[in-house]
Amino acid sequence: MSETTAQHDNPLLEGLSFRRTPDPCALVIFGASGDLTHKKLMPALYSLAFRQLLPPRFAVIGVARTQGDDGSWRKEMKQAVQQHSRDEFKQDVWDGLAANMHYTATDFADEGGEGKLEQLVEQCDKQANLGGNRVYYLAVPPPAFPTIVEALGKRRSATGWTRLIVEKPFGHDLASARELNKMLWAHFDESEIFRIDHYLGKETVQNMLALRFANGVFEPIWNRQFIDHVQITVAESIGIEGRAGYYESAGAIRDIFQNHLLQLLALTAMEPPIDFKSDNVHSEKVKVLKALHTPGPKSVVRGQYGRGFVEGEEVPAYREEQDVASDSMTETFVAAKLFVDNWRWADTPFYVRMGKRLARRETTIAIQFKRAPHPPFEETAAEGLRPNVLLVHVQPDEGVSLAIGAKVPGQGMTIRTVHMDFLYGGAFRIGMPEAYERLILDTMLGDGTLFTRSDEVEEQWLLVDAIVAAWQRDRPAFPNYAAGTWGPPSSEELLRRDGRSWRRN
Amino acid sequence: MASELSDWTGEDVRLADVDRAIGQLRAATVTENGQPSLRTSVMTHIAWVPEGWVDPARAALSGMAERHPSRAILLLPEPNAGADGIDAVVSLECYAVPGVDREICSEVIELRLRGLRAKAPASIVEPLLISDLPVFLRWRGEPPWGAQELDQLVGVTDRLIVDSTEWDDLPFPYRNLAELFDRTAVSDIAWARTSRWRTLLASLWPDVASVGVIRVTGTRAQALLIAGWLRSRLDRDDIVLEHVEAERLEGIELDGKPAPFPPGDPPIPSDVLSDELERYTRDPIYEAAVLASLQ
Repeated sequence: MSETTAQHDNPLLEGLSFRRTPDPCALVIFGASGDLTHKKLMPALYSLAFRQLLPPRFAVIGVARTQGDDGSWRKEMKQAVQQHSRDEFKQDVWDGLAANMHYTATDFADEGGEGKLEQLVEQCDKQANLGGNRVYYLAVPPPAFPTIVEALGKRRSATGWTRLIVEKPFGHDLASARELNKMLWAHFDESEIFRIDHYLGKETVQNMLALRFANGVFEPIWNRQFIDHVQITVAESIGIEGRAGYYESAGAIRDIFQNHLLQLLALTAMEPPIDFKSDNVHSEKVKVLKALHTPGPKSVVRGQYGRGFVEGEEVPAYREEQDVASDSMTETFVAAKLFVDNWRWADTPFYVRMGKRLARRETTIAIQFKRAPHPPFEETAAEGLRPNVLLVHVQPDEGVSLAIGAKVPGQGMTIRTVHMDFLYGGAFRIGMPEAYERLILDTMLGDGTLFTRSDEVEEQWLLVDAIVAAWQRDRPAFPNYAAGTWGPPSSEELLRRDGRSWRRN
Repeated sequence: MASELSDWTGEDVRLADVDRAIGQLRAATVTENGQPSLRTSVMTHIAWVPEGWVDPARAALSGMAERHPSRAILLLPEPNAGADGIDAVVSLECYAVPGVDREICSEVIELRLRGLRAKAPASIVEPLLISDLPVFLRWRGEPPWGAQELDQLVGVTDRLIVDSTEWDDLPFPYRNLAELFDRTAVSDIAWARTSRWRTLLASLWPDVASVGVIRVTGTRAQALLIAGWLRSRLDRDDIVLEHVEAERLEGIELDGKPAPFPPGDPPIPSDVLSDELERYTRDPIYEAAVLASLQ
């Protein structure tokens, strides 16, 4: 009898709760000296170790061009964990993790770089009996992808499984995304490729699925009959934080709209999947993305911030940021009116906006319902009454609130809007896991539900390319909004034309 | 860290007084910006705490509201007290929510049930239950099988949590417990504490299937439940139990061979209780183990 069959027949396992524990594996991080590794990846690995969620046999191998060795990298990563981890620093947890951390300084463009890494990974595998299982994390700029991917593809482990995590941006446009997919598929199967959009790892984003599909009360009214419109806001109060090189060529539309924002929209508008298997969830999201109507020029607003005040502090204009061209036409704000052309959402606008240096950091999805058909109150009684809004707070203050009309106590009938709040941190008094913890663990487990599939990425680019193509024909007067505000006046106008307004923040 | 707002204490009260006190304490939490503290609850947590169990019950409850925001109702029966009546202490335990200038507040209601008031506890807790949320009843010590107060409280409860380690004359009380299985889901802290060992024994499959004698060093309850579990899962009634008394589960031998020690540390008591507060359905494996422990 095989080991698997024997366990399958084991009656003692019934009723026992088991954590999802990944197979033993080696995690190879390309870009091990970079910002992402410092601020997100290593703190996430530490938090997984803290909760004993890592595989029992595990190794982390850092790869970067920066000179260093195991000792110096461990020291650097320890500081990163102490600085950025959500968990208290425990020496024994760190020691357990660090004992299996190795570093190699190498440049894949050089001869011998690949061999050096392969040798180190195999040595770790042999020492810890990792079964040839590998997760490769490409935390490097896109131009470095082809060399690394080709090298990894050529030297795949003969045993075990291989998975590849690819960070955004996934391409610059549809053509480059297709090219990138083609290059990856030459060496890896689609099921081995994990394209990260870290928003999908956020608890509140996943809660959108729970909210919709676990509550019988919402889904029957989640359509054009009851919903007036949807507003999605991804607002940041920070500027470009020294990333001019990337941001100048990306802009808000490639940085946020193409990935995070369209994913939030897809989760809001998708049909219920038949189950939670990765492919079925992706397929429903793709249907929404395919149904997105390309907005005309009048339905898209772009902006760029000028000088202004954020939290009382004067901040420079985008064009005054370091390494930004003084006549830059890069947009730092986009607002759009989108339509999902299908049976459920026909004629229901999805207003979306995203940008940098806005009044505050906030990511929300607001479902605004239609007004009551005939409120039997005097006009003055209901002056303070606004339509019902179901507001999903993705960040900060993760939770859900419902705006309802309630009678003000006292004589007569005066109606005011009040909020019923569900605050995540209030109902579930456990620390919210960082998105990267969930996503790294899911990769080790081979679960691609919270990653983006190739066809999703391509549909997202198709829409972005169409919007950007129209921008080539005009030259807006940038800057057109002051830092610390909610974007250019034309953004307000976009809704005002429809007799609506952006949600009061 | 919880901050406790000043208590409200009343002697010989009616439940309306308790309700009013909760409202007043809540109103006192309104912040400068006019926002009240958040009222977020996931359950009503009742604890039946006979004399002698009061301090351990308070200790177990302490901090539980932070992990499971709930209305906690401690019922302290004093059937032999002189005059009939209810004395109450109501307080709010409030916890900061990181990044938000509001607190989460949970109500703790301690009711001393004097005389005949201790005989009809369901009628006392029902008006205080939070609608539509599950009700968990933690019963300290051995329940008075067949007594009216147990019968009533089980009737309003979704899950009864006991710790059969606290009972005498095992396994006989398990027969009484089994009679409640069709009325409410049951959690047993003693059973929960065997979880690591059951996982370990399961990993010894298929060799464990032919065990003849199991020797358990631990509490009587743990020994009986592990033996019952093996008998029921393996569908065998010929497994012999040998029990060596110890304060906690220290070891298991299978046909004279010691089983390896399970990895990790045993969970602390509040973690065990906390885990049980996250279960909502019947546990057929436990129920079968209880019945098989009677063999």
